[in-house]
Amino acid sequence: MSAVNDKLAQSQTRNPLLSMRGIGKTYGEVRALRDVSLTLAAGEIRAICGENGAGKSTLVKALTGIVAPDEGEVWLDGKQVHFTVPKDAQAHGINLVSQELSICPDLSVLDNIWLGALSLPFFHRKAELRARAADTLKRLGAGHITLDGLAGRLSTGERQLIEIARMLVRDTRILILDEPTATLSDKEIHVLMSALKSLRAHGTSILYITHRLGEVFELCDHATVMRGGTVVADQAVADLTRDRLIELMLGRVLGHMFPEHHIAEGATFFAINRLNVPGAAHDVGLSLTEGQIMCLTGQLGCGADEVIRAVAGLVSHASGRITLDGEDIPLGRPEVARRRGVRFVSGDRAEEGVFIDRPAWENLVAPRFVERSGARLVHNRALRNEAAALADRSTLARHRLPVRTGDLSGGNQQKLAFGRNIGDGAAKLILMIEPTRGIDVGARAEIYRLMRDFCERGCAILMASSDFAEVLGIADVVATMFRGEVVKTYKTGHLDMTRLIADVTHPEEEDA
Amino acid sequence: MPVSLLHSATFRPYILMVVLIAILGKLGGERVVCSRTLYSVLQQFSLLGPVALALGLTMMIRHFDLSVVGTVTLAGCIAVLAGAQSPILGLALAALAGLSAGAVQGTLIVRLRLSSIAVTLGGMLTLIGVAYLLTGNREVAYANRDIARVVDSALFGPFSLRFVIAAGVFVLAGAVIGRTRLGPQLYSVGSDPKAAMVAGVPTGAIVFAVFALSGLICAIAGALLSFSLAAASPSALSNILVPAAAAAIIGGVSIGGGRGTPVGIAGGVLLLCCLQSGLTAIGVAPFLQDVATGCVLLLVAVMDGAELSRRFEDLKRVVVPVRPKISGSSV
Amino acid sequence: MNSDTDLPRAAQPDFAALKARITLGNAVTLLAVLVLAALALATPGFLSMPAIRSLVTTVSFTGCVAIGMTFITLSGNLMSFSLGASLSAATLIFVATLGAGLWPAILAAVLFCAALNALQGWIVGYFRANPIIVSMASFAIITGVATAVTGGRGLYILTNVAAGLKGNLGPIPGPFAAFAICMLIAQLILSRTALGRRIVLTGTNPRAMLAMGAEPWKAVVWAYALAGLFTGVAAVLMAARYGSGDLQHGIGMEYSAIAAVLVGGTAIEGGRGSFLRTFLGALFIAVLQSVLVLRGFSTEWQRFGMGAVVLLVILLQRK
Repeated sequence: MSAVNDKLAQSQTRNPLLSMRGIGKTYGEVRALRDVSLTLAAGEIRAICGENGAGKSTLVKALTGIVAPDEGEVWLDGKQVHFTVPKDAQAHGINLVSQELSICPDLSVLDNIWLGALSLPFFHRKAELRARAADTLKRLGAGHITLDGLAGRLSTGERQLIEIARMLVRDTRILILDEPTATLSDKEIHVLMSALKSLRAHGTSILYITHRLGEVFELCDHATVMRGGTVVADQAVADLTRDRLIELMLGRVLGHMFPEHHIAEGATFFAINRLNVPGAAHDVGLSLTEGQIMCLTGQLGCGADEVIRAVAGLVSHASGRITLDGEDIPLGRPEVARRRGVRFVSGDRAEEGVFIDRPAWENLVAPRFVERSGARLVHNRALRNEAAALADRSTLARHRLPVRTGDLSGGNQQKLAFGRNIGDGAAKLILMIEPTRGIDVGARAEIYRLMRDFCERGCAILMASSDFAEVLGIADVVATMFRGEVVKTYKTGHLDMTRLIADVTHPEEEDA
Repeated sequence: MPVSLLHSATFRPYILMVVLIAILGKLGGERVVCSRTLYSVLQQFSLLGPVALALGLTMMIRHFDLSVVGTVTLAGCIAVLAGAQSPILGLALAALAGLSAGAVQGTLIVRLRLSSIAVTLGGMLTLIGVAYLLTGNREVAYANRDIARVVDSALFGPFSLRFVIAAGVFVLAGAVIGRTRLGPQLYSVGSDPKAAMVAGVPTGAIVFAVFALSGLICAIAGALLSFSLAAASPSALSNILVPAAAAAIIGGVSIGGGRGTPVGIAGGVLLLCCLQSGLTAIGVAPFLQDVATGCVLLLVAVMDGAELSRRFEDLKRVVVPVRPKISGSSV
Repeated sequence: MNSDTDLPRAAQPDFAALKARITLGNAVTLLAVLVLAALALATPGFLSMPAIRSLVTTVSFTGCVAIGMTFITLSGNLMSFSLGASLSAATLIFVATLGAGLWPAILAAVLFCAALNALQGWIVGYFRANPIIVSMASFAIITGVATAVTGGRGLYILTNVAAGLKGNLGPIPGPFAAFAICMLIAQLILSRTALGRRIVLTGTNPRAMLAMGAEPWKAVVWAYALAGLFTGVAAVLMAARYGSGDLQHGIGMEYSAIAAVLVGGTAIEGGRGSFLRTFLGALFIAVLQSVLVLRGFSTEWQRFGMGAVVLLVILLQRK
């Protein structure tokens, strides 16, 4: 920590444009940011690196007024500022292209580009606006996008470019980009890099959040590395190597966090054949044996989530063939999938995974209500006993059972979401998306244990995760994905971090 | 303004209207396609139009204003009661009352983050209650009979003053939405409120303004209606919500927000008015017209619902990374 | 081993739960009830038999409809504007089929009402059409068809067949007993059957239900069907009491019903509430109305009072 502070003191003597000191943010029980400090000089491009959950997005949201920090100060141009709303940040020349695309699908491209710009005159002078928008799009290599088309029709990559264009038409002193290239083609990335470099030449400062190490080295002057909500390094890029960067980002992987792998082979238990999810994934094929945990992994937009959702039956236009334990499972019918033994643990815990307002015990036994026909009487005492038993097996403390689910920590909520399937003798395959997102280390280890125990009993787990350390640690088989296609499948022990990152960001034409 | 919509939802009602007129004309001949029916259509438009516009605007920002009925009723009562000496005064007070009612509801919805259905339900009941209080639970006649003639008589052709004002409201709304930066901001709030906020759009102010405007528009329509009838009653208007919602949805507005134009809404209103007037001219009983309007609304509701589900799927399918944006039914 | 990753709050459930109960909302509710009780007792004539009888009878009709409405609200579909029209139509069916006997007529009316609403539930649940709009459209259609069929006139009960329904169950007026029984049955369905749990969970989070492989639309259809069922009961009671089936019977019922539901404390967005609450809410409103009438307030003030109360309750309900 003191090394970081020293560096900070040094850079502060250079009169930075922006200075964030001691930023802290807590969500309920999770400390998303802890004592984060960062400086940015005029005309500097600074990378913010870290794996998922490190707090990068939260940090820039705190900077731009989307969320309010609980602690810390932000200094701009030598004066303290306090943004409560994105408009304030924009007024000071700070603009964010967020990871969650904020394109309004019902508006035209032109309207989206100019949406919310403070400099927009009240009465449209359409010609002038069109000219600037068209010009900006051309600079980004997106001149082929028609200004009058509906933004909802664009591909994710094109939407990303529109968002960047939105920020470029404003007077921006500090441009923040959160994982901007995940959905862009190589050519688009190249053009973007040039555009950003030219912005730097004109004095704009850039905060660049990324996973993609190549871009860090190509584009950025300095790098701030975050892990677990704090800053672990703040160095000039010239002083770093790839390996050192990865090491800083991931830290020491806790050895005892992941249970042992499952090595034994067997007959195919679950298979996906030529699965197509329009707009997200195509021609996906994989197979699992009993007892295996397979993980699909990749960056934003790789299609892993969609594949999982399609198997769960939650995507209506998917096509392909899915077989579980010898039975075909029709797509788009979650109730049939359930009957055949498929269970789904959503990545969106609060909105789709658990019933937030209900007591915890009810979440554990919720499947009972689904299985029984309507008129069957429900015996509350029996249910509570069952819930208590499930809680024990899920390592959830019994005294938490009557608590409202929303008041529990993320880890405990996930135990509920997963635990409800444990007692279910009919469950054969559990589908999971981002199983430990927003969950602290201790609870993670417990959840990995639960997952492994489930598989020991002759079932299988198919999951999607963008947490690469987790992928390497828990999965028996890893399928890397890029832009909707499976790049390669690896058995445990045959894949390392460098290879993984390369596969999901820049899959080579041919591998050795 | 969403341009490609111009080719479908906005002009759809007009195309349907042509078809409808052709059919009705075949069925009823001269009884139907005549200047009297046209006048009747335009007069109905003078009430239904502004109400549908007000409701449509709130739907476009992904809310719903149930209180339009209450505002129209109360405004009519205020206009008649307060305008004994001067109709202008009556109109002004009614407009003020409508504006305030809308503003209060808008504030509650934005500040307290309450569901607009819940707030406007309470608002509607309260407004109607006040109307009952003011009129003493009876129909109040308006002394100034001349005003009825002024308001209803044709200014030129079949267009009365009431109609011109109603049409004027549409023109104004269309101009503001189409030509100023408020237009895209309005649609963005309905299309994706979170994205709009992040982009820098003042979403709270827009929601507030739309509800205030809705109150104002309905109040004006209600006041003019009472002048036209030379009477105000606290209980007359219970069934205007159905045709207003139907007109808005036919005109391209979606319950999910982010779509629809004043021109389209006007088209939807005209279509329904033609339907009603035409059926009356043929001699179909009013309750059957209610059935017809109800069926139309049901049909568009189903289509809108299915379309909404598909839009939601589309949104999720195009790989939204960290948290899928949910629209659910925030109405 | 357990990871103790929770806040102290969750680790002291008892004390915390108690504190959570004493919220502003609850304090206001308690106060309101006390004030109303005091007012009522201080009102001359309130405790007289005719006043009590009248109160108890009217509350039964609105109350049964409110019980039906509660199912719809719990399922996450806000409210239905067509329950009043369904009620009116059911009274007509009841009177029209009385010729076949009392119980067949009751069955016909109740099942008719249930089916009418189940259809709406299907449109709302399966097609995901907006419930407000569907109910508004249904209101227009039902009213229109009923007017067409009856020519706007009512049907009168000419025999004494239905007299039994007007009588008393011991000291308790029949309709009130029916209302209480309905409340108990509904509460039983809610807390003791899998269907009831499914309805509540669908109201809390339909997406999570879908992700679990349940079919949320089925729960919605059942919720609406049950709403129709209890509304049908109200229809039978009303028809017996007023001796006729008439379109006027149901006018404005849904507003009183939703007021009772909200005042009782069931959340408008669904997933939280109970029938006991609705029962108490209906009582509260009925007592309020009775007090207003006895103190000489005209119907206008009653209407205004109702509207203001609903608005106030909604404002206080925010989380």
